[in-house]
Amino acid sequence: MHTQDFPQLASIEAIEQGFESFGYICSPKIATAVFLAFQLRKPILVEGPPGVGKTELAKTTAMLLDVPLIRLQCYEGLDEAKALYEWKYGKQLLYTQVLKEKLGDLLQGAQGLAESVERLHQFGDTFYSEEFLEPRPLLKAMQQERGAILLIDEVDKSDYEFESLLLEILSDYQVSIPEIGTVQARVTPMVFLTSNNTRDISDALKRRCLHLYIPFPSVELEERIVLSRVPDIDQQLRHQLVEFVHSLRDLDLKKSPAISETIDWARSLLLLHARELDAQVIQSTLNVLLKFEDDINTAESALRELLPRPAHG
Amino acid sequence: MAEPAQSSAMQSHLVNFIGLLRSHDVRISPAETLDAMDVAATLGYARRDRLRDGLAAALAKTPAEEAIFQHCFGRFFDQQLADFSSTREERANQAGEQEAASGPEATSMPKGDADHSAEQLLETAAQTDADLQALLTTPLLRQLQDNDSAALNLAMGEAAASVGLSQIRMFTQKGQFTRRMLDAMGEDQLRRTLARLEQEDSPALEPLRRYRDILREQVRDYVERQYLLQAEGENARFMDDLLRRTRLSNLELRYQHRVQELVQRMARKLAERHARKRRTYRRGKLDMGRTLRRGIANDGILFHTHWKRTRKNKPQLLAICDVSGSVAAYAKFLLLFLYSLQDVLPKVRSFAFSSHLGEVSELFAQHPVDKAIELVNWRYGGATDYGKSLQDFARLALDDINSSTTVIMLGDARNNHGDPQLDIMRSIYQRSRRVIWLNPESRRAWGTGDSEMPRYLSACHFAAECNNLTQLERIVDQLLKMNR
Repeated sequence: MHTQDFPQLASIEAIEQGFESFGYICSPKIATAVFLAFQLRKPILVEGPPGVGKTELAKTTAMLLDVPLIRLQCYEGLDEAKALYEWKYGKQLLYTQVLKEKLGDLLQGAQGLAESVERLHQFGDTFYSEEFLEPRPLLKAMQQERGAILLIDEVDKSDYEFESLLLEILSDYQVSIPEIGTVQARVTPMVFLTSNNTRDISDALKRRCLHLYIPFPSVELEERIVLSRVPDIDQQLRHQLVEFVHSLRDLDLKKSPAISETIDWARSLLLLHARELDAQVIQSTLNVLLKFEDDINTAESALRELLPRPAHG
Repeated sequence: MAEPAQSSAMQSHLVNFIGLLRSHDVRISPAETLDAMDVAATLGYARRDRLRDGLAAALAKTPAEEAIFQHCFGRFFDQQLADFSSTREERANQAGEQEAASGPEATSMPKGDADHSAEQLLETAAQTDADLQALLTTPLLRQLQDNDSAALNLAMGEAAASVGLSQIRMFTQKGQFTRRMLDAMGEDQLRRTLARLEQEDSPALEPLRRYRDILREQVRDYVERQYLLQAEGENARFMDDLLRRTRLSNLELRYQHRVQELVQRMARKLAERHARKRRTYRRGKLDMGRTLRRGIANDGILFHTHWKRTRKNKPQLLAICDVSGSVAAYAKFLLLFLYSLQDVLPKVRSFAFSSHLGEVSELFAQHPVDKAIELVNWRYGGATDYGKSLQDFARLALDDINSSTTVIMLGDARNNHGDPQLDIMRSIYQRSRRVIWLNPESRRAWGTGDSEMPRYLSACHFAAECNNLTQLERIVDQLLKMNR
């Protein structure tokens, strides 16, 4: 992908504004990383707690560039047949059947076995050819005419072997298929890998990527995010609710509320016509923010300290 | 973009910065160094915050590394900009206060004029004193008088280069380097003049002293910063090295925390190095060649599908740890290691014993490390009985031991003259793939007193002395290699 084709990524400011127009409010750090990934043609490994918008980043970039988003969800046991390519076995079998029927015609007039075999060799070996190749996400991303965003989601869930499989693709943007040869990407796709840090990603993979750690956003940034997603909410309430979510994140919770949950909560408060955060409103809507019974109990017992001070006090 | 000359200067700056990061244990490969250069070239050096974010993306690959990066970036790139005007102002204020205490006429003087009056004082004194006059015209004093931080920084940089300050490694060298820097900057002249003025009790004494103090403070700060930059990482590494080689029983309590980190890092490293080969694909892939070949017999009709397979190899690790009093000093670390190993290797079962034995895998899985170790000690601590413990072990786990099982025994084999139950050890030995005994006692002590080690040796594939972390690491590494 080149800059002239995608003026959206020409500068860091352009990226920030572009993302904002699609409702993705990002920190300068994120925009810088995307800018560099594009300019240096490097994959970008995005890490961070769940729900800070790692996957969303790739989706928004795809929207911004108006190129297809090709997503590969990783899981334990993911192998190349699912990720890279697969042979169309059914068609291959049919092909052998057809070949058998046509064999008589092809070999008509051949004198003796040697000549038959020789004549057989004159036909190209179509059994393993691109026609019988079923591209999976990784290969598909290489074949896009205008380039693509390749999202390799939750790469930490895959096996180590799969990581090594990615190395060739991520450093050279090519895929080796033993039966055919090397397939080079038509247009270098932009690659996002996300990880929730359930295990360490191998050094080899990290070396090939730019690394972007997205933490939970600052209060100010999160307020802007809420504003862009729930524009109708009162400014005072918005500030209070974001502050409250931040104080929740400081508690020892099984799962801290993510940005999407802040947004959901803001929407529910809007629906309930809440004017201000008080204990009753929070208690009745806490299940929007927290998804574990234990967490809700922890938060409720700490509610007194967490509750925002009255605005006038 | 900057001029080529400037950009090459920045490049060497960048390389220095990467060296600094490396000394702080951030692993950076040459490829990543090149990436960093690309990043710097793409972003330019004008906006520092952008450069910081961009370099962080290319160089720091974990949140921990990023924290180190931020820390180093600030210190490294701010160093050139250190300014002493604030210090000087404070000084001037202090001086003003002192003067306020000494006389009323000083109080009426505005603070800003304090410097001014100092200069006047000096100049008046210099008119009658040729020595002082000469001193005041030296570049050093000019810089101090004009508050020219850029020039002073430059002078300090030159002095630092001439005394080889970048070689500083230990905090004990700080004083020495400060002295040498000051000498290189020509402070001795100032010092001599001061000594003379002190005897004469000249009015120029006070302002001159202040300049000397500012200078000393600047140089001290400079050396301190350099020390922090150069030596901090090195020191930590030195310390780690030392701790690795120290006998575990000799480690002081205050280092235990550090060792804990070391052990965990080690276990993780080992597991990472070795875990890769463990996993196998669970699903096969259709083996077209074989399927077709088998089909030939059926006249090309493919009745049977064949699947490519990878050999499944599920090694299992059983670790048994002695936690009795005689090995108490080691047990903590062995348990720690076990805990870390279980954290990173999927199939480790851990057992602890002294008078009797029990499985502690669950305990390790449920509790944080300190708590788990405490619980194990509390539950299984006491006088050693290898015989009884082996019986317990046989009851719990003997049926699960097969040709892919490795059993690690951590203990001193001191059985208080009880029945060693060698036959159980034998049957473990026969069933398992490997039995490894790690003994914290030195080899010479094996077999002395109530040690049953020589007898147990007959039921071990491999036994080794293991009382410091380096040994432990080496053995476990070896062991995992064999385990493939």
